[in-house]
Amino acid sequence: MLAQAATIPALVTPTGRDLLGLLPELILGAAFVLLMALDAFLPSTRRSWLAVVAFISLAAAFGASMWGWFDSGSGRTLYFGAFAYDRYSMFVNAILLVSSALVVIISPQYLNRRGIHHGEYYALILASTTGMMILAGAMNLMVIFLGIELLSISLYVLSGFSRGDERSQEAALKYLLLGGFASGFLLYGMALVYGETGHTQLAQIGLALRAAQTSSVDPLVLVGVILVFIGFAFKVSAVPFHTWTPDVYQGAPTSVTTFMSVTTKVAAFAALVRVFTYTFPYVYTHWQVIVSLVAILSMLVGNIAALTQTSLKRMLAYSGIAQAGYILIGVAVDPRVALGTIGVLYYLAAYAVTNIGAFAVITVMAGRGEDLDSYSGLRGLAFRRPYVAAAMGLFLLSLGGFPPTAGFFGKFFVFAAAIKTGLTPLAIWGIVTSAVSVFYYLRVALLMYQRPAEDEREYAWSRTSLSAGIVLAATTAGTLVLGIFVFLLYNAASAAQSGLLPAIASSSG
Amino acid sequence: MNVPWLTLVIVIPVGMAILLQLVPRSQTALIKALMVGATATVAVIVFALLYNMAGSPAGGGPLSLHYQERHDWIPAIGASYHLGLDGLSGWLLALNAGVFLLGALAVSRRATDRLRFYATLLLLTEAATGGVLLSADLLLFYLFWEGMLIPLYFLLSNFGDENRGRNTLKFVIYTVAGSLLMLASIIWLYFNAHLGTGETSSFDLAFLINHPSASQAALVIPGVKISTFTPQQLVFIGFALAFAIKIPIVPFHTWLPGLYESSPPFVLVFFAGIVSKLGAYGFIRYGLTLFPQPIGYFKWVLAALAVLSIIYGALMALSERDIKRIVAYASISHLGFIALGIFSLTQNGVNGAIIQIINHGIIIAALFLIVGMIEARTGTRELHELSGLEKRMPWLYFLFLVATLAGLGMPGMNSFVGEFTIMLGAFQLNWIYAVLAGGGVILACWYMLRLHQGLMHDPIKPVLERVRDIRLGEALLLSPLVALMVFLGVYPRPVGDLANPSVAQYVSIATGANPNPSSSAPSAGTPQAPQ
Repeated sequence: MLAQAATIPALVTPTGRDLLGLLPELILGAAFVLLMALDAFLPSTRRSWLAVVAFISLAAAFGASMWGWFDSGSGRTLYFGAFAYDRYSMFVNAILLVSSALVVIISPQYLNRRGIHHGEYYALILASTTGMMILAGAMNLMVIFLGIELLSISLYVLSGFSRGDERSQEAALKYLLLGGFASGFLLYGMALVYGETGHTQLAQIGLALRAAQTSSVDPLVLVGVILVFIGFAFKVSAVPFHTWTPDVYQGAPTSVTTFMSVTTKVAAFAALVRVFTYTFPYVYTHWQVIVSLVAILSMLVGNIAALTQTSLKRMLAYSGIAQAGYILIGVAVDPRVALGTIGVLYYLAAYAVTNIGAFAVITVMAGRGEDLDSYSGLRGLAFRRPYVAAAMGLFLLSLGGFPPTAGFFGKFFVFAAAIKTGLTPLAIWGIVTSAVSVFYYLRVALLMYQRPAEDEREYAWSRTSLSAGIVLAATTAGTLVLGIFVFLLYNAASAAQSGLLPAIASSSG
Repeated sequence: MNVPWLTLVIVIPVGMAILLQLVPRSQTALIKALMVGATATVAVIVFALLYNMAGSPAGGGPLSLHYQERHDWIPAIGASYHLGLDGLSGWLLALNAGVFLLGALAVSRRATDRLRFYATLLLLTEAATGGVLLSADLLLFYLFWEGMLIPLYFLLSNFGDENRGRNTLKFVIYTVAGSLLMLASIIWLYFNAHLGTGETSSFDLAFLINHPSASQAALVIPGVKISTFTPQQLVFIGFALAFAIKIPIVPFHTWLPGLYESSPPFVLVFFAGIVSKLGAYGFIRYGLTLFPQPIGYFKWVLAALAVLSIIYGALMALSERDIKRIVAYASISHLGFIALGIFSLTQNGVNGAIIQIINHGIIIAALFLIVGMIEARTGTRELHELSGLEKRMPWLYFLFLVATLAGLGMPGMNSFVGEFTIMLGAFQLNWIYAVLAGGGVILACWYMLRLHQGLMHDPIKPVLERVRDIRLGEALLLSPLVALMVFLGVYPRPVGDLANPSVAQYVSIATGANPNPSSSAPSAGTPQAPQ
């Protein structure tokens, strides 16, 4: 594997096998073009067909990823080491594609109700998903940057998708400005790393750092590593690079928030783990402190700020910041311990299914022309929509980390990894902040079961449609299955971890 | 016999809870019948299991568990779905089945217009507490332990007076903080189990008892000594906090009085009846077996806190004017006795604790039901607004009298047996503890009689002249409890006989004595109750 990466052949045409390895990304890319073309011909009343096409292409890409899971075996690289064809990227692809598919299912109804059902929506979702999948498989600094830009630019447009809504426009602008800022950090960091190691391929960088380990590490490399981390921290919305998150989540149309809150985080964490845990293990002692610090701050600020919110979307935004902190624990543990990466993967899957469920409830319960955003809009939901309320309660409990839900085992594995590697204080800190988080999750959960006061107007929840029912049933089932039949996903995450490229340091346990 | 009986104990309530969602909300009679039916079925199964336990084969290992069921759950990390029953968990499971049946019976269809919601949550709570008692795997145990909070949260925050929301949140955050620390401790135990060559670690309780972590020196983080405790002791503190909050032991009790005050009797019957006992159960099942050294080290402090709970609860019960709060503080005092018995780390003390866990479950359920009946009729809980009810409520007077006598530990009543045995254990620990706890018994006479006399004796207040006595249904609800108070007072052997061998095992592991129960002379530890 290393030998393969070490000898870069000069100007050779990529083989068909390389092309085949990119099949999921290619399917989505083709579907993107198809959707843009279809949008030009379809009458505006038939826009839901676009959702069907998008769903089919996502399902096909999912199928291709599943095939890739079995085909990639112990993993190899494509395009001369620039792209990973391993189970790790297939695992992340699966999370991304399922999340996107669920978002596509709930979107038409919501967009129609908000009056913003434009055709390019689905194309942009697919483009963004493609970017995320590229990011998940990227083995080259340039490819990482390409992936991040592709996903971000699509999201900039999507967050401003409600063109008549000032808050949506503000969200898009804010996201664009801060996103551009983050890209700058990332690129600068990459430049420094390249300048010091002379490589853009992750495998080569890792080897160079291993060689440099014997002598002293150049401080410029460390600055580069930290700047790269900052770039990622923006994308996963970790404190102190989180300030855009609440405004953008609140301003963007809820279906877009559903999409970006989950998938961006999943993709950025996937790349973060590949770059830090597997490419930079030899400077681990240097970046571990920074990652731990950011994790600690995220858990603190995210949870404390969420306490005082009265907007559902903002609360879930701050909760997402806190969740990023918990996932960062899994990144901060010793790279030689596999449980850290497995924990991150499990947490991402659990977070995806739970958070999509929670946002889906807000999306499908939205009234005509307005978003269901304030806490008071949920009051009494359980009496009118008992199943939706029960599902929302389950998602909130999962976010709070109660067993037997997915969220519990996400936390369990990252805390376990921290305790195993002697980062017990980090785990304890996570525990203390988790206890705080219970307060705001349960407050919302309880609200749904309270009767509205006599004079209080009940929110006009929309009827639960078939598509909403499908998404809520799927996410509910997922939340419970990941919380009870843990071995299913654990084994998959373990297999994904064991073949993770670039394999520079030998991992154990 | 291949029927997975223990799984049924968990699955029947869950299955019925799901089934209830298909019943229209307005069919209250059917909902109640189904709820009672499910809890009664579980009770029948549990008592049949207990009856046949002595004759059933027991598993080997440090704990002799009966009716074991074991399946892989997360094989990669050595977590399994492992259930088992022994003398300790058996009796608690019986109490569990009893109080939930009582809770199902106690709710009248007029008491709430959300009967289906209540029934669902009651059944889910029963499944979770049953799971806590049955699991023999630490991760599974934790799953049920923490999962229990979910139905409880909705129960406590939806049924009760207007302060319930705040009180429930306090309880949940308290317990979540405690149990998450326990989770960290469980993970630590798992990773630090002293493994032989070729072994992989496991969350199985018996495995962790047999593979204790190698003793380590005081915790030192590069160069700085941050604690004089060893890691084992800190890990024990993680467990102890979770259990101490649940019991609760003073000073972790602050959630209790308010929450008991704001909850309705039909919730308190099982909330006070079993949930608080799970903390005591945890100390015996996990504290004694997994942490012989730390619990020996901390027993002086823990026993002192237990005595403090006894005295503090009693004094508060004496000073309160709200009858529900009096019972709540009396409960703290009684739970202090249970804790004292456990921390004496003697055969007598732990035996007494188990007997007292059962007794207290019965007494507290009866007292909360009685308080609820009085409040429902008079519309007040203020002691000074109530008096002379004996004339209007002769039947309640009689049943309440028995419960009062049981509550103050009168010889011949059930709690005398338990408290006496606990005192024997406390004396073996140190006579000071026994003397102070004895003071608690005297105070118990005072506050229980103050409560009883205040409510029942003296001339009746004019506003209370129209109060009616309890109905037949209510009398039938209380009678079995009252009968049990007397029965277990004169004939406590069934509890002791079944629990003794298990207690011997737990105590011998905790004190490092010969772990073979047959040689630890159970006759020496058997309480000779007055007959």
